[in-house]
Amino acid sequence: MSSPKEVQQSNEAWGSRIGLILAMAGNAVGLGNFLRFPGQAAANGGGSFMIPYFIAFLLLGIPLMWIEWGIGRNGGRYRKGHIPGMFAAIWRHPMAKYLGVIGLVIPLVVLIYYTYIESWTLAFTVFSLTGDYFGRNTPEEMTAYLQSFQAIGDSSIHGIWKPFFFFFITLFVNIYILSKGISGGIEKLAKIGMPILFIFAVILAIAVFFLPTGTTGASPVDGLQFIYAPDFSRMGEARVWLAAAGQIFFTLSVGMGTLQTYASYLSTKDDIVLSGVATAATNETAEVVLGGSIAIPAAVAFFGVSGAMAIAQSGSFNLGFVTMPLIFQQMPFGRLLGAMWFGLLFFAGITSSVAMATPIVAFFREEFGIRRETVAWSVGGVAMIFGLLQILWFQHGMLDEWDFWGGTFGLAVMAFIEVILFMWIFKPENAWRALHQGADIRIPSIFKFVMTYITPVYLGVILVSWGIQDAIPTLLLERAAPGTEFYITMSRLIIVGFIVFFLVMIRLAWKRNGYDDRKGFREVEDTPLGEPVMAEVTR
Amino acid sequence: MTTGALIFMLASWAFVLGLTFWSFRKIMQSQKHFDPDGIGPESPPVPGAAGGPPPRD
Repeated sequence: MSSPKEVQQSNEAWGSRIGLILAMAGNAVGLGNFLRFPGQAAANGGGSFMIPYFIAFLLLGIPLMWIEWGIGRNGGRYRKGHIPGMFAAIWRHPMAKYLGVIGLVIPLVVLIYYTYIESWTLAFTVFSLTGDYFGRNTPEEMTAYLQSFQAIGDSSIHGIWKPFFFFFITLFVNIYILSKGISGGIEKLAKIGMPILFIFAVILAIAVFFLPTGTTGASPVDGLQFIYAPDFSRMGEARVWLAAAGQIFFTLSVGMGTLQTYASYLSTKDDIVLSGVATAATNETAEVVLGGSIAIPAAVAFFGVSGAMAIAQSGSFNLGFVTMPLIFQQMPFGRLLGAMWFGLLFFAGITSSVAMATPIVAFFREEFGIRRETVAWSVGGVAMIFGLLQILWFQHGMLDEWDFWGGTFGLAVMAFIEVILFMWIFKPENAWRALHQGADIRIPSIFKFVMTYITPVYLGVILVSWGIQDAIPTLLLERAAPGTEFYITMSRLIIVGFIVFFLVMIRLAWKRNGYDDRKGFREVEDTPLGEPVMAEVTR
Repeated sequence: MTTGALIFMLASWAFVLGLTFWSFRKIMQSQKHFDPDGIGPESPPVPGAAGGPPPRD
């Protein structure tokens, strides 16, 4: 057995179970909980949307959550905290590790553009506290204010340096936390950030419901009516069920590769079943109870139901960065509440973004023996270069392009591969046993059937539907704005470059460490100091 | 607010809050399973046994 010091050098660890769950929940709770969910509910049948939403939660969300925790913890037994290694641990086939490239490319792509969006929330927190946007009282003025910050149009409002400055600060904070490791960085952030997030959200929800009835005659309660009024005529529409499944999918952060890395630092004595439920439930509380009680009710109170509907349909960014600042200008303590709103979004964002680089850090640490700090700052350097490109090419559709291939379609592909590998290739019996090792509760038997048959079919339907409706038209540039084709093509080539780079790295890692795909990895209880962590092989 | 909207809102909130409180209550009652040293299982699982990898060909 190694001493604790040696273990510390050879592997990461969680300090407490609550820290783990808060970090997992922090990973899941993101901007979408507060901006995307209420708009989706209102646009897809209101209260009746919640029926397919909760069905998707039970048949898709919770099973995927367990599958990802299971894949991650199983990988951890072989000291594999990255998807190529986890897939190879499940499927002893040369292809498995290369399929895992998706679990390195997606988090990197999403990290880069998500950190850029996160930097807006940090900037607007400061702008709220200083009252910088106060006095811009019309949607047109606030839109111009936001666009200037996005380096679109009139640069005289913000100057060209602000988006770059806030992006640099946000990325630096992310990478600094990441470089401190699981227990010393990510867990500490979650223990501080998640309570602050919930406190801010509760204060904002209460403040919104004390808003007076506006000039349109609507009150915040009408906003809840707007979200929850059931329209059963929409229940028969396939698109409503797809929207609900999509929302569940995005909100739980499945298909990203990050939950698995977090779970890989657990032992087989640790529970993952109950922890997975707690993580999903915490995210749902943030989304359904708090996310639905702030932005839309406030928008309805100020702009009426028809105005709020138009705002919801104009997109999440418009709701968060144009409408909400207009509302805060009308509220008592508007600067403070505005700072709380954007601070809430910032904490929701950063607890997600710090998770995104962890699979890459794990890959280079475990397979090449590179120090965590070195990998973290290197990833930061890459994110800086391509993040600057995101800022410069935002108006040319680069962010939307990466969001679609990395943050939307890619997640569904990844989740589909995971379900097939874990439930079909690893076999349901082994998956079931792996999940229940150290479990505090037993999963109801019906879920074995659900996870084997229903979840993959559900995901397959989503994939085919998105493929036909969105992926093909997007791929063929049918939806590209005129003049953006070059930038979009270049954006895609960068993603292709990431894929090629990681494929080569996986190949090198396997050769370097002498892994035999057909024989699998040797299980590791501990790794003696001086022996490379990754060199546990069947040569 | 109509009765239908109120029912859907309260049912949704009750479901997620109930699940959250239930899961955290269970967690608080069963701290024994957490292994904060992060070094993995006390002894390596036996291949083919509960939780172990599938038997090798």
